[in-house]
Amino acid sequence: MDAMDCRLARNLLTEYQDGALDAAAAAALAAHLRGCGECADCAGSLLAVREVLRDLPPDPAPPELLPRILAAVEGEDRNVRTDPHPGGADATRPFLSRFRLPLEAAAVVLLFAAVYWYQRTPGTAVRPPSGLSSGVSSEDGKASSSRPMTAKEDSVKGSPSGIRLPRGNPKTAKKEEAPAPAKSRTWTAADLPSAPAVLASTNSERIVPIAPPPGPAADSARPGAPAFGERGSAEAEDGADSRLSRSFSPPPSRLLRPLPYGRDIVVDVKPESREGAEERIAGAALRLGGIFERFDRGAGEAAPSPSGTVRVILPEVAATRFLEEIGRIGTIPPEGMPAANDLPAGPRPGTVAYAVRIRVR
Amino acid sequence: MDLERPGGKGRPVDLLVEGFRKGTPGAFEAIVRAHQDRVYTFCARMLSDREDALDAAQEVFLSAWRNLAGFRGEAALSTWLLRIAANRCLNRIRRRKSLAEREASWPEPFGEAEDGPVFQPAGVEADRPDRLAESCEMGKILAEALSRLDPGSRWMVLLSDVEGFTYEEIASLAEVPVGTVKSRLHRARMAMRRLLSPVA
Repeated sequence: MDAMDCRLARNLLTEYQDGALDAAAAAALAAHLRGCGECADCAGSLLAVREVLRDLPPDPAPPELLPRILAAVEGEDRNVRTDPHPGGADATRPFLSRFRLPLEAAAVVLLFAAVYWYQRTPGTAVRPPSGLSSGVSSEDGKASSSRPMTAKEDSVKGSPSGIRLPRGNPKTAKKEEAPAPAKSRTWTAADLPSAPAVLASTNSERIVPIAPPPGPAADSARPGAPAFGERGSAEAEDGADSRLSRSFSPPPSRLLRPLPYGRDIVVDVKPESREGAEERIAGAALRLGGIFERFDRGAGEAAPSPSGTVRVILPEVAATRFLEEIGRIGTIPPEGMPAANDLPAGPRPGTVAYAVRIRVR
Repeated sequence: MDLERPGGKGRPVDLLVEGFRKGTPGAFEAIVRAHQDRVYTFCARMLSDREDALDAAQEVFLSAWRNLAGFRGEAALSTWLLRIAANRCLNRIRRRKSLAEREASWPEPFGEAEDGPVFQPAGVEADRPDRLAESCEMGKILAEALSRLDPGSRWMVLLSDVEGFTYEEIASLAEVPVGTVKSRLHRARMAMRRLLSPVA
């Protein structure tokens, strides 16, 4: 019995003639072809077509083909003359493209090394004071006053640590520092973060010019003028404070300049309380476990200026208490309260930096 | 000049390849002479245009010159060259903007049309007197019939029935399953049978 219909049989003819059918299917198809003349004719003509195709002789290539190929090869060979034995996928590739991946990898490594070097280079890296993290326990907020830095200790030593000391009335300073615990601490110059050149802000009114330190040259020059571009002659000459001289050296390039940070506070003080205000602010910062970076006096010690700025860095947990302390020194107007802005609050997470501007009202 | 068939030893050509790799002068020219007829014929049957076939054959041998150093000899050199030729011809066919206009559906032998049209209707040039005169010869008739297959099936018929490639070789080259090769070949052969039935 023929179990295969014509449609299936014709669909299998190609494989049958190629010998690609399994034995059972081939036998069934052969049986069908024996009994179906139409399919047998189809198979016969299909086989004839294949035989004709198989015996189809190649056409001779036109005579111009060989010269064209050889000319094309010669032209290409001229382009890769540097390689005497052409061949290989690299033969026609541009020289640099063969080293593209290694060059890209080297560029990435160099970039990484440059960033690493920039981070490690003293004077450009922003290092938080280690005392901020060591002196302030994260477990309790009270620790901010447990190990404060004693300005007295540093002032007695003539600021060997490189911390710039207040230059106001020593008596006033001592008065403010009196409540500070006598427990000594190990602040070094390395504890101080690099301060930004200016307190950068998109608001020009918020840019705090850092005046030169009080001294003959700075005092007689331009009061309140930005100190950059001119060296603090008094400190630079005595050489006692190398960090100070670095602070007043010309600013580094834009690329190497540390990112700005910090927020502004404006405090209004009465004229009779103006004297020693910087020292009191700095003392408050020290008592709360922070540090002060510098005083920027408007007109020097002899004739206190109505304005002045004290830059401090504090543990974040001590920020509220610091504002309370500032409130006792003077009045913080609503516009003087530090507002969150787009600048980082401090040089490192967990710290906050303030530029306290003193106004006489 | 049929130096080898697919799967054969191909000893003379292997010597030529070795000579080319060693930089023997004239080795590449000898390779071209040995294979140009076959490659050109394949291109001409694929492209149905003499100038296109010449350009394609030139590209094939130029590509071979660039890559012969990487030829590992896993297949015969002629097989390797025909693979390059098939790819080049298919690329050229794809680039022909007029191809879509020339293609049209054609009744399938048994209503199978899932893989697109197998036939192309004869072009305007088919009615030219010179073409009619040429059609008296079997080779020309076959070439005409082949040209009316759609390119995707045509090159399979050429590689399978003319060049003797296996299903697996064609499937590898076309990057399609073997079953697809079988079905396309079957439909193309049935179409050729219908075209050539008065002759074959």
